[in-house]
Amino acid sequence: MAGSRTSATEVLGRGHPWLSLAPALCVIAVLFGGGLVLGLAGSFAERGGGWSLDAWAQVLSEGRVWRSLGLSLWIAGASTALSCGIGLGAALLLRRSFPGQGLARLLFQINLTIPHAVGALGILWLLSQSGFLARLVAGAGGIDTPADFPPLTQDRFAIGIIAHYVWKEVPFVGLILLANMQSLGDDPESAARTLGAGPFAAMRLVLLPLLMPALVRAGAIVFAFAFGAWEVPVLLGQSSPAALPVLAWQRFTSPDLAARPEAMALAMLIALVSALLIRAAFTARR
Amino acid sequence: MKTVIGGIGGALVLAAGMAPFAATAQDGEALLAMEWDEIVEAARGGEVNVFMWGGADNINAYVSDYIGGLLADEYGITLNRVPLTDTAEAVNIVLGEVEAGAAEGAVDMIWINGENFRTMKQGDLAWCGYVEKLPNAELVDFDNPAIANDFGTPVEGCEVPWSRVQFAFAHDTARTEEPPRTIPDLLDWARANPGRFTYPAPPDFTGAAFVRHVFIHAAGGPETLIGPFDQAKFDEVAVKAWDILNDLEPSLWREGRTYPTSITQLQQMFANREVDLFFTYDPAEVGTAVVNGIFPETAMSYGLEDGTLANTNYMVIPVNSPNKAAAMVLQNLLLSGEAQLEKAQPDVWGAATVIEPDRASDEVQAGFAALERHPSVVAIEELGQAALPELQADWTQAIEDGWIENVGN
Amino acid sequence: MNMGLLRVVAGLVLVCCLVAPLLPLGLWSVARGWFFPQVLPATWTLEPWARAFAPRSEIPGALLTTTTVALASAGLALALGIPAGRALGLYKFRGKALVELALLAPVIVPGIAVGLGIHGVFLRLGLTNSMAGVILVHLVPTLPYVVFVMSGVFANYDAEAEAQARSLGARPMQVLWHVMLPAIAPGVMVAGLFAFLVSWSQYILTLTIGGGRVVTLPLLLYAQAGAGRNDQAGVLAMLSLAPGLVILALTARQLTGRGLALGGGAR
Repeated sequence: MAGSRTSATEVLGRGHPWLSLAPALCVIAVLFGGGLVLGLAGSFAERGGGWSLDAWAQVLSEGRVWRSLGLSLWIAGASTALSCGIGLGAALLLRRSFPGQGLARLLFQINLTIPHAVGALGILWLLSQSGFLARLVAGAGGIDTPADFPPLTQDRFAIGIIAHYVWKEVPFVGLILLANMQSLGDDPESAARTLGAGPFAAMRLVLLPLLMPALVRAGAIVFAFAFGAWEVPVLLGQSSPAALPVLAWQRFTSPDLAARPEAMALAMLIALVSALLIRAAFTARR
Repeated sequence: MKTVIGGIGGALVLAAGMAPFAATAQDGEALLAMEWDEIVEAARGGEVNVFMWGGADNINAYVSDYIGGLLADEYGITLNRVPLTDTAEAVNIVLGEVEAGAAEGAVDMIWINGENFRTMKQGDLAWCGYVEKLPNAELVDFDNPAIANDFGTPVEGCEVPWSRVQFAFAHDTARTEEPPRTIPDLLDWARANPGRFTYPAPPDFTGAAFVRHVFIHAAGGPETLIGPFDQAKFDEVAVKAWDILNDLEPSLWREGRTYPTSITQLQQMFANREVDLFFTYDPAEVGTAVVNGIFPETAMSYGLEDGTLANTNYMVIPVNSPNKAAAMVLQNLLLSGEAQLEKAQPDVWGAATVIEPDRASDEVQAGFAALERHPSVVAIEELGQAALPELQADWTQAIEDGWIENVGN
Repeated sequence: MNMGLLRVVAGLVLVCCLVAPLLPLGLWSVARGWFFPQVLPATWTLEPWARAFAPRSEIPGALLTTTTVALASAGLALALGIPAGRALGLYKFRGKALVELALLAPVIVPGIAVGLGIHGVFLRLGLTNSMAGVILVHLVPTLPYVVFVMSGVFANYDAEAEAQARSLGARPMQVLWHVMLPAIAPGVMVAGLFAFLVSWSQYILTLTIGGGRVVTLPLLLYAQAGAGRNDQAGVLAMLSLAPGLVILALTARQLTGRGLALGGGAR
């Protein structure tokens, strides 16, 4: 698109995009591609040399793995849906000025720079049954012991994990959408309004479809991260079922050497499921 | 060229043109042929990379400052302490290196025991046969089965003992005046106090040790579980053990629907009054927790009348260590009477020694006799009266897997 | 009017939710033995901070390591990512979609899947346990973001200006320096800063490739949290926030929400 904008032959690098791309492609091919290939090879490796399907057979026959997969899908799905929904709401809120808008925007940006490890620890100390929130409620006389407070971390619905991802990703989604709204300007919606559409109809029928591609892209990134991250469920997750990445890391660091190919198989399963689902989301858009 | 174990990406290893690592890692064979003085000379001015669990400031300070200082002053050797959250990480590094044919490893020493040591020994990842070269090895009673066997795996000169620990429980005297002092009492106590007890889910190290106590109780004592793994015996005891633990679930924290995932979580829950009992494989930790403000001063550790598991932890040198001579000098230093005494001081660490004090100098003997412990820490002598031997790694692995399969789900 | 009130309330809730998880972290960094049911610490102390910067503390060294790794990794990511972003943003060519997919794949494929395998690659390259290896491996998460941001920047870049400069007799290097660089500078800054932050936040890749030898702040944070030293973990958490805050303060004008969002934030 941009390339067709200029007809000059004098633009540097024109006709040689591969030269500019080669260094980055090489690095990604070796580090990322090599990592995937070796991970895959590792999942088929047998101790003492040779190849086998044992690790895959073992992993796929375990009920625990399927339960973990289900949990991770729930975590990633719920986190993505909530982040996108709330992020959209927040973006719509923040594009109009109101008292405190500047502060909210600043916090959005700060939040984006916070490492996941820090956020997860903060959520743990905020939401656990003896955490900050529980103590506030206890101080107000709402509960007597930690057990009276609803379990929000290490709980069966992974509320703590999802809360962390939503907390971290709402600003991410929100800022992407804000940027898109800025570049769209007010024109599409005001055009619809002049044609007689109400404010909500204008938003739903005009603005939302225009934002959809950005929303799907942001959602895919959120989904992939929430599906595959280890740092967060390891702090906030329950013992069983554990999120799939936690299970993979457990096998990777197990003193039992036979568990390593299984760890690799689990890691590949994570990559495969994530890639397939995201692909499906993009195809459905078209 | 040494055999490469494991086969992850075996073809790629060959393609990469694997170098025979014995040639570049410091040559163990040559060292074994040297006199101790020559080894010390070879080590002088070098460095040694020690990989160890790094979660306790006092332990870190003891190793980095006290031991590291002595090593630098007396031998000019630099000690690099590498903190780990899980010892298996270091074993994995060595394993990965050896599998990939990395000539020179990154790891010179690992603080280790149990399954991780078994993994290293079985995988030929541990350097063996040098222990009698260390002058201070004379202070250790290698005939003591508790030292000659690491969780039932014969040590056979492949690692050097460092400390002894014994499992202990802890309670807050301000909350729980009379804690249960046997496993059956504990089970009854938990039923009488619903929601006030739980244990970390294996594979957490401490949680798995608790499960072994129940397993030994179900077996009627440790005697029949000692020795190599016996599937028939395991199956017979396992049924009872899982019944006991499954029956207990409704009385546990959150009705046993979930378990803490780490001993740290249990520690925090105890500190926050979510549960009333804590346990640890190192009673000195309870004293440290009080000093650090994690536990109230009323926290107190205690042993069980029917005994608690005891084990020894060790230092191992990986087979591809690039600084074996310096690692040997360090191990010798760690075993010295002075270093073992310093480590036993309650304000330093409070770790029980592996040497026989009466084989050490008079000052060291006097020092051990004069040791005082932190008021929250149960006396090692009291604990030691009822010590249970650790089970072999195959047993502990089977018990862990069995728990995950039958109880933890 | 009703809508306006709703906005204020919603904005207030949003602000509170964003700040809430940081509160206990900050409080723990100045507390001792702060446990249920105390709403606020009974003992306030600066001891955790004093300890963090005591002579033997590992934290200053880790701060230096984390900063060095993040700077180097961000620099490398820019060096590789700007040309790639330019090619993707300016030109149409056969296989472009595939290249885009390949360069962005590390964002879509979860890190752990690659991390376990990358360890093997790095062993064979002799890069494990070293800072160089950690810097390189941080390219996996950082490079895609730089490419992503820069291709966006170049898509809006007027390449015609370069042609004009060339026709006026400027040499290629002069064109790059005087025409391209000023035009893309804000984008480069956003991309670089976010590459820095992404590297700053890494845990699993640092642990596996650094083998524990390259000690960064996230490693210490997990070690202290894992040992129940909430006060030390609180200090480390506060220190981890620092670069993001500094960067925002220093560049408040240049950094728009757009740039930040494109950067993807710390992962």
